[in-house]
Amino acid sequence: MKITVKLKPLSMKKLFSFLIISVTGLCGFSQIAMVDSLKDVISNHEGKLNALDDRVLVNEADLSKLNKIKISGYIQSQWDYYSKDLVKTNEPTNTFYIRRARLKFTYEPADGVKFVLQPDFSTGNLTLKDAYAVVNVPFLKDWTLWAGQFNRPDYEVEYSSSQREVLERSRFIRAIYPGEREIGAKMEYIGSIIPLKFQLMVMNGDFTGTTAKDVDSKKDIMTRLVYSVKMPSAGLGIDFGVNGYFGGNRAKTNQYVLESNGVLDSTNVGDYLKKQWYGAEIQIFADVLGGLALKGEYVAGTNSTPSTISATSTMAQKMASPNTVMNFSGYYVYLIKNIGSKNQFVAKYDYYDPNTKLSGDAAGANVYYKTLTLAWQYYLNDNIRISVNYEMPQNEKSASVKNIAGTGDTQLKDNTLGIRIQAKF
Amino acid sequence: MKSINKTTAILMILTLFSGSAFAQDKITVKGSDTMIILAQKWAELYMKNNKTSIIQVTGGGSGVGITALINGTTDIANASRQMKQAEIEKLKARYNTLGVEIRCAKDGVTIFLNEANKVNELTLKQLSDIYTGKIRNWKELGGNDAEIRLYGRENSSGTYVFFHDEVVKADYSSDVQSLPGTAAVVNAVKKDVNGIGYGGAAYSVGVKQALVKKDANSKAYTPTAESIAKNDYPITRYLYMYLRNRPTGETKKYIDWILGPEGQSIVTEVGYFPVK
Repeated sequence: MKITVKLKPLSMKKLFSFLIISVTGLCGFSQIAMVDSLKDVISNHEGKLNALDDRVLVNEADLSKLNKIKISGYIQSQWDYYSKDLVKTNEPTNTFYIRRARLKFTYEPADGVKFVLQPDFSTGNLTLKDAYAVVNVPFLKDWTLWAGQFNRPDYEVEYSSSQREVLERSRFIRAIYPGEREIGAKMEYIGSIIPLKFQLMVMNGDFTGTTAKDVDSKKDIMTRLVYSVKMPSAGLGIDFGVNGYFGGNRAKTNQYVLESNGVLDSTNVGDYLKKQWYGAEIQIFADVLGGLALKGEYVAGTNSTPSTISATSTMAQKMASPNTVMNFSGYYVYLIKNIGSKNQFVAKYDYYDPNTKLSGDAAGANVYYKTLTLAWQYYLNDNIRISVNYEMPQNEKSASVKNIAGTGDTQLKDNTLGIRIQAKF
Repeated sequence: MKSINKTTAILMILTLFSGSAFAQDKITVKGSDTMIILAQKWAELYMKNNKTSIIQVTGGGSGVGITALINGTTDIANASRQMKQAEIEKLKARYNTLGVEIRCAKDGVTIFLNEANKVNELTLKQLSDIYTGKIRNWKELGGNDAEIRLYGRENSSGTYVFFHDEVVKADYSSDVQSLPGTAAVVNAVKKDVNGIGYGGAAYSVGVKQALVKKDANSKAYTPTAESIAKNDYPITRYLYMYLRNRPTGETKKYIDWILGPEGQSIVTEVGYFPVK
């Protein structure tokens, strides 16, 4: 039996219509399903994005805190070669050493507030160099208040050793500002309209790097005023100023005082020994075939050093190690010439007389020193500086120098060649 | 032998000098993002007319440019603010010069508002209050009852520093969204009805410039050639180029050209204002 199904044209149309409707319906159904599925995906991604957004916000907040912390520092690796009088028996003629290895942490939680912490990690010499807070004084534009341990207000003291053009500070600066820092408070004005800088510091006055607290009730005061003149058309800038130190030391254990005239006097234990001096400074910067600078400072006054001998020592021992109060003077002059952008030639002359009233044999160990230093800096890049420095001190001729030298010479052979590589970041 | 030595010495000197002469043909310029369109246009036109010159321009912000100048990695630092005393001290310490400041254009720091924003005028005090977060709703300024959304620049930007020192005069609100470049600030305000931003006048496209007045009793201005020239617009500033030393050779030629009629006409073309 053969069954034949013959579709009428109309039925064919119906069938096509049915098929189209079915397909369209299916498509529509699947489209709805797809839209729903897409909605789910979007919603899922939206959730993920929101979560990411929250995480980014948290990270941003953390990063903005980190941005407020700045870490900088430098390492000075050095080789020194000494002339023979500096080389005592069995001591080396040359040495490698780490002169400075410092890290500086600066935290600025808000505009006008800054905290600084700077330890020095030089080999066998972990010390705290800086620890201070600086705040902008409210309602006093251009004024800042400093508190803690920081540099004394003096040009060569405040000029960072990572920038200084010779390896060491001047002899008189090292003598009157030992360790450069002090513990105290400072008001500083840096004029935004008037080119004036004023500093007034109140400090313990006996800081040597280890004295955590004052040993007497009186505080020392130091002040500095600098005015700047700019002559852009001449490529010239001149900063000049004055400074003064007013303070004292207490005679803690010894009533004997050796004064400038070489006479041993006596006073009472507990009396104050005068520390007072005045200074003047100038820095000239000239754009002459590249940078050229001439810098100088002169300081004169009275410095005192308290005796550290035990209070129970004999009178003879005390007389042999008295307190000292002496008139002194010192100055330095730098000539710095930049050669191209990478090289710098430096000539420096500094003078220090710890006792201006006596000279020659009468001055004893307090002879004057005149030091000529020649140096060359090469800046390899932003971070690396190589310095070659030759220091040639000349001392005042004195019988006591013969004893120091141990050779019978009155002129010490104490030149030093120093080569330093500084890495700074 | 002596003559050979002399010849060698002369040749060495000549080589050194010719080396420095060649080096001067390439000038690197870095710094202000506000100035980048201007600096690029200057460089482009200058190089077109001076085939041997290569002028390389990059942005990063005024602070970045000045740091690069101190570090010796750029010849010219573009800055939309003046150098800070601390930066001059660094330049003195490294190069023993005070740097050379060249005023190369003028600008009015423009306050960008969305075109749909009802607010048209703002005083300096209001701007300060907005950016310190004291004023938080447009309603307080006669606008819609909507939260003000703050857009600003990153702290390496000279515009950020200038706006802080001359207008805000206090800490910026923590709600300010820091964006990399004035174009990004303008773009954000363009999309955000409740947004406000600030930046160089040359970027003011597709947004409304707010009229700014010194105080409630003063006349309000937008940054126009006239209001900038007369210093009537309250947030007028110079745009600067900084160098380590007084310019010589190709650098001098380039700067002279910038300060000349051709360079200054580009200033106007870009949307800033000439110095003279």
